[in-house]
Amino acid sequence: MKALLLLFTVLIFFSCEKILFKHDLGTTDSLKNFDYLWSEIDKKYSYFELKNIDWNQIRNTYRPLLTENSSETELFTVLATMLNELRDDHTNLISPFNVSQYNVALMGDDNYRKRTIDEFYIPNAWKTGPLVHDFLSNGKVGYIRYGSFMSEFGDGQMDLVLDRYRNTKGLILDLRENGGGSVFNVPKILGRFVESKTLVGYTITRNGPNHNDFSDIEQFYITPSTGIRYLKPVIVLIDKGSFSATTSFAMATKAFPNILLMGDATGGGGGLPNGGQLPNGWTYRFSVSQLLDLNGNNYAEDGVPADIEVSFDWTDLTKDEILERAIYELVN
Amino acid sequence: MNKLKKVSLLILLLLVSTLAYNQEKDSVDLFKSKPPSNFYSQLSIDFTSPLYRDFATSPLFYRGLGINLNTAWLRRSDKRERIFKIELGFSALIPRVPKSNFIQSGGLAYFGNLTLYYHQLWKIEPLSNEKFNLKVGGALIITQNIRANPALENNAFGLENLSNLMATAQVTMDISRIAPKVYKRFTLKPVNRELRLLVNVGVLNFNYRPGYAYSYDSEMNGTKTKPVAWAFSNYKLTLNGWRINTELEFIKYLPNGNARGWSYIWEAAHAKGRYEPFQMASHRIQYTLYFHSKKR
Repeated sequence: MKALLLLFTVLIFFSCEKILFKHDLGTTDSLKNFDYLWSEIDKKYSYFELKNIDWNQIRNTYRPLLTENSSETELFTVLATMLNELRDDHTNLISPFNVSQYNVALMGDDNYRKRTIDEFYIPNAWKTGPLVHDFLSNGKVGYIRYGSFMSEFGDGQMDLVLDRYRNTKGLILDLRENGGGSVFNVPKILGRFVESKTLVGYTITRNGPNHNDFSDIEQFYITPSTGIRYLKPVIVLIDKGSFSATTSFAMATKAFPNILLMGDATGGGGGLPNGGQLPNGWTYRFSVSQLLDLNGNNYAEDGVPADIEVSFDWTDLTKDEILERAIYELVN
Repeated sequence: MNKLKKVSLLILLLLVSTLAYNQEKDSVDLFKSKPPSNFYSQLSIDFTSPLYRDFATSPLFYRGLGINLNTAWLRRSDKRERIFKIELGFSALIPRVPKSNFIQSGGLAYFGNLTLYYHQLWKIEPLSNEKFNLKVGGALIITQNIRANPALENNAFGLENLSNLMATAQVTMDISRIAPKVYKRFTLKPVNRELRLLVNVGVLNFNYRPGYAYSYDSEMNGTKTKPVAWAFSNYKLTLNGWRINTELEFIKYLPNGNARGWSYIWEAAHAKGRYEPFQMASHRIQYTLYFHSKKR
């Protein structure tokens, strides 16, 4: 009897998570995948109201284009087109054969040519980690190129760079075509240019099923670095390719009188993009938060405007007009 | 690197087996009277097949293989039992993706967990006898998961804590061979061994799960921002869900009081959370060494 009881217990309690858990939801059914993605965005996307997007209408437009047996390429095309209605480069669909993208950088002029900088301005540049830098204008100006906020650098490396330019009249920080990366690198750099702890903006994150449900505001502070700081004028070069963390950086500079933005408006992407996975295994991401300036305004999603607008002249590839203007502003 | 890990693991297993084998040869009186209370230190290794699903980021199950290392301190007597266990596990998992007729999706996720386990049990005299010992009591299981799934971008890290107060029952059957037994040409020696079944069922099930948006843009205090606090902000503590844990163990005692155990452990948990649930289960084959370190 006891042996039977033991056997029964073993059978009941071992290996039965399949009974206890909800069934496997993986499916290639196009309509189920459509509904899943539409619903996740509906629950968590952060810019419906700001961009005046009627998400129900978008569902009514795109869902009829699919059947449960639509091919994977048909499904991808419909989902990608639907996602681009959000006009947000932090919104992507990632499948094994294609990645959807809104491509905001292609919607403005190209204002950066690396070859021009490398060949005609800093041919003997130092490369200190991800920081490419050298003197310009006979040593009066320092130039630092930081190509991606994904790239990490050490405090010692930044100390070395700033110490090298301590006797210059000003510094140019080139963030054109910097597509973003870790937001933690924003205060790491800006902390080198400030004297005291400064509130630079706010963030709010989607916090409920209604499109206007958001968490309480969270402060975004920049604190002065304990390493070498540079408190003379700094000009930050930006363009449409300056995206995500670079947009956060650009917006934060508005709180500092010694920093100017020059070039074109950034590409936006102030929201935190969270990722997820569809029932067919593809992955996606979209923005769940908003970046607000000190007055509570959200212009960062459409791009932080430059304080001085300058464009690259593609008829003369030996000259970078944006860089030339920055040098002029700092030297004069 | 992988080769080095494999060789290290092999050496560890060989050492453990040799140690256990050597102890077996120290023949002393096998069935000397059992002391009123035994104190054991335990070392275990197990191979695990975990499974999880985090509805906040994916409707898919992730399943894989991994290894757990455990250490425990056990105090066991006929009437009472207490154990404190620390488990550390690491696994690699792949999503259970439906078959594509175009290009197959894949992915790889990593699953680490640290578990603290404590139980205290008391014998139920009316339902026990010399060969059959039933104990009941309570257990506390605290598990901290750390999951990494790079495909999920800013949600790549999944951190959840499951803390459960369990109702526990344990049945121990003495299946010792008292007298030598002749089987064909072989003579089987007397051996002290037992079969143990442990069942834990969650009574109070706490979970600490991400908030509505999973990852948040939280307060940024310049370079003083603490990434861990930033990651955990907006987490919610909730009392819901369930957890079940069972273990079937065969224990063979050595003449010197030490023992070896082979177990099959199954566990399943559902952390409903405040917004979206997390589910996990695992099947484990475990090998345990019991070091009889103290008699009272």
